[in-house]
Amino acid sequence: MTTGKFRFSTFLLYAVAILILIVQIYPVIWLILSSLKSSIELTSRPFSLPSTWLFDNYSSVIRESHIFLYIKNTAIVTFSCIILIVLLSSSIGFALEKMQFKINAKLLAFFTIGIMIPVQVTLIPLFIMYKNFGLLNSYTALILPQVGFALPLSVLIFTRFYKYVPNEIIEAAVMDGCNIYQVFYRIVLPLTNNTIITVASINFIFIWNDFIFSNTFTNDSQYKTIAVGLQEFIGAFGATDWGQTFAAISISIMPIVLIYLILNKNVMAGMSEGSVKG
Amino acid sequence: MKVLKDKKAWIVFMAPALLFYIATVFVPIIQSLLYGFQNWNGIGDRSYIGFDNYVKMYRDPFFWNAVKNNLGYVAIVVFMQVFIGLFLALLLTYIKKGTSTLKTLYYLPAVIVTVAIAQLFRNIFSLQPQGLFNIMLEFVGLGHWQKAWLSDPATALAAVSVPEGWRFIGLYMVILYSALIAIPKETEEAALIDGVNGWQLIRHIKLPSIANVISLCLIMCITGALRGFDIPYMIGVPGSSTELVTTYMYKKAFSSMQYGYGSSIAVFIVLESIIAVAIINALFKLRKGDAA
Repeated sequence: MTTGKFRFSTFLLYAVAILILIVQIYPVIWLILSSLKSSIELTSRPFSLPSTWLFDNYSSVIRESHIFLYIKNTAIVTFSCIILIVLLSSSIGFALEKMQFKINAKLLAFFTIGIMIPVQVTLIPLFIMYKNFGLLNSYTALILPQVGFALPLSVLIFTRFYKYVPNEIIEAAVMDGCNIYQVFYRIVLPLTNNTIITVASINFIFIWNDFIFSNTFTNDSQYKTIAVGLQEFIGAFGATDWGQTFAAISISIMPIVLIYLILNKNVMAGMSEGSVKG
Repeated sequence: MKVLKDKKAWIVFMAPALLFYIATVFVPIIQSLLYGFQNWNGIGDRSYIGFDNYVKMYRDPFFWNAVKNNLGYVAIVVFMQVFIGLFLALLLTYIKKGTSTLKTLYYLPAVIVTVAIAQLFRNIFSLQPQGLFNIMLEFVGLGHWQKAWLSDPATALAAVSVPEGWRFIGLYMVILYSALIAIPKETEEAALIDGVNGWQLIRHIKLPSIANVISLCLIMCITGALRGFDIPYMIGVPGSSTELVTTYMYKKAFSSMQYGYGSSIAVFIVLESIIAVAIINALFKLRKGDAA
């Protein structure tokens, strides 16, 4: 009796878990399958596997749009941001967590409130400043605020890691004749590899996906990122050509999905870090 | 250690990030505050007009409509992300095998480009051509419910809120799940010995133990939804039923060039976020007081 009941509830549990799994990932699978279908098949057999795997949608997207230019722009912006974010937040994190100054706690709190600040409040002032300095339509215009808004969470993640670096390691290095800069670059930083990957991967996702900054600060195709570029040529194809639209979307999400599947543990750890305060 | 009190080194490590942060985040905030008191269209003279922009905002029916829509958006997003996220997190704690795979896959939508999500849902909710949602309605015999969900003013707000809610369910699930599995086993065991059933265990032991994390999730989720922008901006109807405070501010600033008025709306968004955080904190403090 009990075992029977137990089995039934276990079955129910898995059934619900799988149902939700379908809701969460079926749209993505459907999107990719649809990108491989002809327009006719898309409407006539929307749920089936493609009868023949058509890559026409992909070839016309590649031929007719700037998709690779947009991907290149996004990559330049994203990687520049990540390098800056890692450099800036790893070193300030060290200063705030390991060095002994009274004001450190206040500075960290100052960074932490940044997590709550809506990016929209900075759009108008930045737009006006960029216009005055001729920075609209440039990579710099996108990199500056992205790095600024990424710092709070990144600094927090680094300080939390440095907490676990024992002071004895630093002491030993000093005995061996290292100065403070050598201690940081040769001893402490190499220990943070995993933290660097966490910070880099979550920011990769945030920045790759950013829409509002690139939509506001760029209107020249030469500097558009994928989030804005995608929006644009969907209009150009018209709402009816969903096959091509889906192909373009599939191309644009591939780098992200790939990174996520490889580094999902770091991504999940990093994204939930902001909320689970020590 | 003397080396850790080296003031010059401390400045070298700290100053670049601090200056960057102040220049790109805090200076613009101060400027927004100032612009909020100005009448300025981007060219020509600026004049200080005191609280005129705020008075205008108070009398602007489109602004209040946006606030009202935004509250609906917050309600749907919070329900999906925090409540369904919590339900999933609880569910996962009872599952023995495959939790890490399930977690990874539930989380997947959170990493996908917003514009992709927006376009995907534009198709899902579409009537002509028939989108996934309408096809499914027909499939289960509810064909007469079919409609263009995004362009019908009655359903448009829900149709732009659902994709946003959906994509981050996994994020909140992961956060809440880590909190749930961190509850000491002894607490649960003691309660079970006292004869509480499964539901009581959740209601009186598990949920109170993670109240802190739930309140943080609510804060994250509500402040996130108050500044929600991307999906309503991309696929919302160009009318008023999907207008949010952020999209209205964006329109005023970058289409009508009312930088002053736009800035005052931006300041409003900051203020309402601060108020929301204060309310949630107060509610959770109150609850703690009751329990004690």
